This record gives sequence, structure tokens and C-alpha cells, in this order.
Amino acid sequence: MTTSERLEVLFVEKLQLNRDLLKPESTLDSFGLDSLDKIEFLFQIEDEFKIKIPERDVKIDTIQDVINMIDRLSAEQHGKEQA
Amino acid sequence: MRRVAVTGLGVISPCGNTPEALFSNLMAAKSGIRRMTHPFAEKLGIRIAAEAEFRISDYFPTRMSAFDRTGLMALASAMQAWKDSGLELDDTEKERAGVFIGTGMGGSQSVDESSRAVYAENKERVNPLTVVKIMSNASASHISINYGLKGPCLTYCTACSSSSVSIGEAFRQIKTGYCDVALAGGTECLISNGSFKAWESLGVLAFEDPEDASASSKPFSKDRSGFVLGEGAAVLVLEDMERAKKRGARIYAEISGYGTTADASHITAPTIEGQARAMKLAMEEAGLGIDGIDYINAHGTATAANDVVETAAIKKVFGDRAYKIPVSSTKSMHGHLIGGAGALEFLISVLAINNNAVPPTANLKNPDPECDLDYVPNVGRTGLEINTVMSNSFGFGGTNGVLIAQKI
Repeated sequence: MTTSERLEVLFVEKLQLNRDLLKPESTLDSFGLDSLDKIEFLFQIEDEFKIKIPERDVKIDTIQDVINMIDRLSAEQHGKEQA
Repeated sequence: MRRVAVTGLGVISPCGNTPEALFSNLMAAKSGIRRMTHPFAEKLGIRIAAEAEFRISDYFPTRMSAFDRTGLMALASAMQAWKDSGLELDDTEKERAGVFIGTGMGGSQSVDESSRAVYAENKERVNPLTVVKIMSNASASHISINYGLKGPCLTYCTACSSSSVSIGEAFRQIKTGYCDVALAGGTECLISNGSFKAWESLGVLAFEDPEDASASSKPFSKDRSGFVLGEGAAVLVLEDMERAKKRGARIYAEISGYGTTADASHITAPTIEGQARAMKLAMEEAGLGIDGIDYINAHGTATAANDVVETAAIKKVFGDRAYKIPVSSTKSMHGHLIGGAGALEFLISVLAINNNAVPPTANLKNPDPECDLDYVPNVGRTGLEINTVMSNSFGFGGTNGVLIAQKI
């Protein structure tokens, strides 16, 4: 599965979001996620992709930002693209 | 001083998730105690518990990731009670409405999950919502947030008397004019690996009855061996009586007395004097003498110490009249909800008034000679005249809480 597909599963199963809303340009704010939701979402991404997201300086607004971050951290931390 | 009405009831319990189902099951002596199905139970010496059949999706349409199970059960109970009461508050009224919740150990399941992640799974990070799930005041706050109640939002932690105390303190605030409306009750869920181990190690949990696991809690019985851990929540709507009457609310009962005392003696062993004094204080506040109580819902944990001491305390307060009062321990069926116990049992006591019936002490076939009151053994009683009820809760640390309600 691609990063995008795995992320979609996470969104639908863990956050119970409608699959149709998940477009690369969609913002996390548009799903009604508050600050705590976002923190928990990042935690679930860490678990699913076996990556460690830095504690600070995480700037992600859109789904595409999330995909890019996962791919970048996976490459850095696992030495290869997971997607 | 104002009078205080009970105008709404909500419950999630091992014996039913509505007040009607709960009372009907208790009257039929149907136990909510059984063998646990959790995988962790395989490693326990004692594997019985009283679990609530509580499916989160039945109550909440969205994910509730910031909640411990205690918070979910408390909010689900509050939602029932709120709906039952028919309350509608404007912004000004919401500023004079409070939340008063008792819990012994707060978000204990979430403590367990976090500990497992750190110590067993060597995770670098735990669930980021761990703090908001664990904090003991979370349940009260979730209720306050859900209804926009902006008066006092308080959490009481006095072990097994936590939610008698929370209801008693809410009663006092309405009585003295600090609040007009309160959602008051308690919640607890200690059915997780670490919590269960702690209780098991303390040696206060009942052994499983070899013939019938559901009959393992045997209050006042010679062969009692301790209590069965239960989970659940109960929340009641309390309201200034005049306000309740004015809006035509259904009034289940009036709370008329509350007594709380400390034994100041021992961290687990109860005292006759401390318990008796709490009962007397509640009766004095209610203006009732020893002939004034028609039913006592006992703390009745089925530990060796409690049942003998509580029996002696009731006799110390009521003298010979003690033998004529039906006293039952419904923990024989719903287990011990610890911080949620007081609220659940007070709610049951209020239902005893409304049904003119008293639920039994189940599994009492072999009475302890030192426990010689009328414990309503095994079979509930109907067709009685139940005008006043007393609900006893006595906690570790020597914290006693007694509530009295009466028919209006």
C-alpha cells in the first residue's frame, strides 16, 4: 500500500472520517480536528508507520503535508521510502 | 434553607443500564457478577467481576478518544439523568448549575495502558491524551462541558464513599443556596490488569463460588470472602425543590440528610463509632428519629470486617429498632463500584421509595451469627410502605458518607 492508502485506512478506521473527504488538498482543520485530536492523530501515525515525529516544529495543514512528512521521516529513519 | 429534590436518574451498571432495568433485575436477585472474559484474567487468581454491558457506540456517535472508560460511563449516565429530568437551562441558570462527581481512582484503565506502553512495550511515547484521560476530575468536567454548566465542577475522592460524599456535598450547596441545580454522582472502572492485581493483593476480593460464579458476593453470610469488583456510574439530577415544583418536574424523592465523618483510626479497618456518627448526623439533619427509617441500603461489602462493624453500628444507632428495619446489600448483585458505589446505591434507594419495594441481599443462605439483622435474604420484598431510606457508604481511609432520602 502507498503512504496515501495507509493514511486513508487510518483516517477512516481511527478517526471515523468519511473517505470521500480525503483529498490531498484537504486541510486537517476542515475535518473538525481540534488541537488534542491532531496530537493524537500524529501519535497514531507514529505507531502505524513506525516513525518518530519530532516533538516540536511539526507544520502540517493538508493531507499532502502529512504524506510528505511521513515519506521524509521514513526515508530518514528507515533509510528508504516506505511508499 | 432550601429543600432539595431528586428529579432525574441515570445509570450504567452491571445489573442494567437504565434505572428500571437495574431495579427490576435487583428485585429478581439477578446478579451481574460473572467470570471475566478479558485475556488478562487468565493470569489472575481471582477472575470474577461485575462488568457493565456498556457499548460506547450505543451512546456516542463519534470517537471519544479523550475519555477514559470512567468518563464515558459518567457522561452516559449524566445524559440519561438530564433527559429524564426534562431540564432546560438558560445561560444565567447554567451559571448556578454544578457538577459533583465521586471517583476513587479516576482514569485507572488509562494509567494501566500507559504503564504497559512504558514498562512492557518500551515505547518512547505514550498516548498523548493520557493525562486528560487519567485526571480524576475528567468525568465531572466532561459533564460540565457537555451541558455548559458553569457553576462548581467538583470531584470528590474518598474511596468507597466518594459518590455518597459528592451527592451529599451537592445537596448542601443547593440547600444553602450556592447552586440551584446539580448533576451529582459517581463513576469507577478498576477492571484492568494492574488495578485488579492491586485489589487481589490486598486480599479483599471474594473467591469464586465453585458452583456458581454469579453468587460469589455473599454479604452478611458466614461464608463471605470479600467483595467482587464492579464497574459503572450513576448520576442524579438534584434541584431546588421550589424550582422543581414550579416547572412541574417529576420528583423522585427529597434528599433530606447527609452525614460524613472520619474514623481517624486506621487506613483500612472501619470503626463502629465513625459509621454510627455519620448515620446519626444524617438523621439529625433530616429531622428523623430511630423510627423514621424504612430501609437501609447497607455498605455491605462482604469483607470480614465491614459486615460485622456495620451491623454493630446500625444497632448502636437504632437500638432494638435495628431488628425491624430491612437492611440489604445490593453489592451481592452489582458488585462493589468503589467510588461509584455510593451513587449507584443511593439511586437504588430512591427507586425503593418509588417502588415501595426493597431489593434483597442475594446469596445469604448461611447467616453469620454476628450479623443478625433483617438483611432481606435472597428475595426482594414488594408491597411495603417505603417513605424514608438511608444509604451507607464507608471508605478506606475511614471516610464515611450516609445519605437519607424521603418520599414527598
